[in-house]
Amino acid sequence: MNRRNSAQKRITNVMKKEWKVVFSDLNSGMFVTVLPFIIMVQALVVLYLVSRYAGPAALQNTILRAGMEKWLQVFPEISQLSVAEQFQVFFMGQIPYYFLLIPTMIAVSFATFSIVEEKQTRTLEPLLATPVRTWELLLGKSLAGLFPSLILTWIVAGCFLGMIAAIGWGNLIQYVVNRLWVVSLVLLVPLISFLSFMLGVIGSSRARDPKGAQNLAIIIVLPVLAIVIMQLVGVTVLVGRTLLFVCMGMVVLDIVFLKAAVGLFQRESIVITWR
Amino acid sequence: MAIIETEDLTRTFDTRQAVQNLTMHVEKGEVLGFLGPNGAGKTTTVRMLSGIISPTAGHATVAGFDVSENVDELHEHIGLLTETPGFYERLSAWENLLYFGRFYAIDAESQAAIYLKRFGLWERRNDKVGTFSKGMSQRLALARALLHEPDILFLDEPTAGLDPKSAREVRDLIMDLKKMGRTVFLCTHNLEEAELLCDRIAVFQTRLIAMDTPENLRSSLFRREVVVELESLDDAILTTVQNLDFVETVKRDKTSLILELQDFDRNRPALVRAIVEKNGNITSVFEKKHTLEDVYLTLTREEEEL
Repeated sequence: MNRRNSAQKRITNVMKKEWKVVFSDLNSGMFVTVLPFIIMVQALVVLYLVSRYAGPAALQNTILRAGMEKWLQVFPEISQLSVAEQFQVFFMGQIPYYFLLIPTMIAVSFATFSIVEEKQTRTLEPLLATPVRTWELLLGKSLAGLFPSLILTWIVAGCFLGMIAAIGWGNLIQYVVNRLWVVSLVLLVPLISFLSFMLGVIGSSRARDPKGAQNLAIIIVLPVLAIVIMQLVGVTVLVGRTLLFVCMGMVVLDIVFLKAAVGLFQRESIVITWR
Repeated sequence: MAIIETEDLTRTFDTRQAVQNLTMHVEKGEVLGFLGPNGAGKTTTVRMLSGIISPTAGHATVAGFDVSENVDELHEHIGLLTETPGFYERLSAWENLLYFGRFYAIDAESQAAIYLKRFGLWERRNDKVGTFSKGMSQRLALARALLHEPDILFLDEPTAGLDPKSAREVRDLIMDLKKMGRTVFLCTHNLEEAELLCDRIAVFQTRLIAMDTPENLRSSLFRREVVVELESLDDAILTTVQNLDFVETVKRDKTSLILELQDFDRNRPALVRAIVEKNGNITSVFEKKHTLEDVYLTLTREEEEL
């Protein structure tokens, strides 16, 4: 008698369970669903306040001036806008990178929560005695984190644009939603989400509780913030070749960290060394 | 037909040898008690036989599958009860069972229902496992191990930490499994439990010290002894007994005599006659029964002395 289910069914089973476990815990459920909107609201408030009270003056003799000039070189079509609008478009252009914090934090949270939970409840050993393969388990867990990351980031991006229109800056959306936005949301979000999950797995293999694991994994936030800062101060603008290199680098990092995570997520390692 | 076979199965952790050259076989339908002190390597053996960790040397087949090569197939045929039950405490008993059951090509819902009812947990199926007592969790873990109707069950300390009533329930379940013809590999510290449930006993301390039926282990270690209890025991009776030519050894314990006899069954009546003729008032005569604990302690002591 064939007693084994298909790999797809097993992976789906893992994903469904992860969602049940994560969303049955108030803290982790709130973190995953509310955090993206907090990040969005924070971005909107900063954008509104700076535009309203500082406006173009923020660009005069400040560190942002170089960033704005670089932005105009890359996107010459915005030069026809007023200085105030240029500033708003420039500022909103950083938002897709800022939103990379959402998949980063959700994936890290999912990974650390779900794996440390398994360690704490000692469910990994009985799980490893079933026909589920370790790669299926890892994939199921990472997809369970990836889907909410993607969906919530996209929803938040949509809400952000909606709010921009509601504030009365709808005419700027055509300048804001450029190729950088699309590449960021379609390519970088899943890549960084996956990378964050793998870092979460690696952190979880060493940590005893989700907080400890998150502390180890949250290091991924630093390069994301670094991209935003580099663009703001005019070091670079991630378009064209630079963006391609970043994406390719991210793919390489994903593969490297996947291998590291799979190495740590072997049956033997889990049973013998994970404590 | 052997359903578990091992040959020189060995597992080393760094420099420490946890299991050393284990060679044994377990027959289909047999309940094997795997006894040994803490840290003897019992759990490591179970983990190797259930394909969770690999042997460092040697090999083993379980249900015809190599434990290193055919792990995926092996897992379809075994059920494992780990020392700690291990459940998602925020999920209900029903959700937990379905999750584990859905890794197999079975009707997880109906199997979960069967075993929840069988183990008296049906009424509590929607309760979170975090609210369960240890006994309930252990029964749920047994239900999980049985969901896919495995040929072989590995039970690691199934009654450890349970109150007497829960332990009794778990033992009854194992008895039922035995009647159903399941092969059970039972790791336990509880020697009474092993005596009650197991067809054969393996005494293990890093290596296999002995493996046989409880009766054969007893007879290989201890000679048969008869105990004669008297109302009072005087020197005349003791001298008479010591002078009987078929009596090999005599020990006195208050008003009782413990004797080893040549041709035990034939000479026992003669012994009784001799005591009665000396006006000894016998209150009872019985064969001294060595417990499995005696067997276990003798074997492990000998091993430690080596």
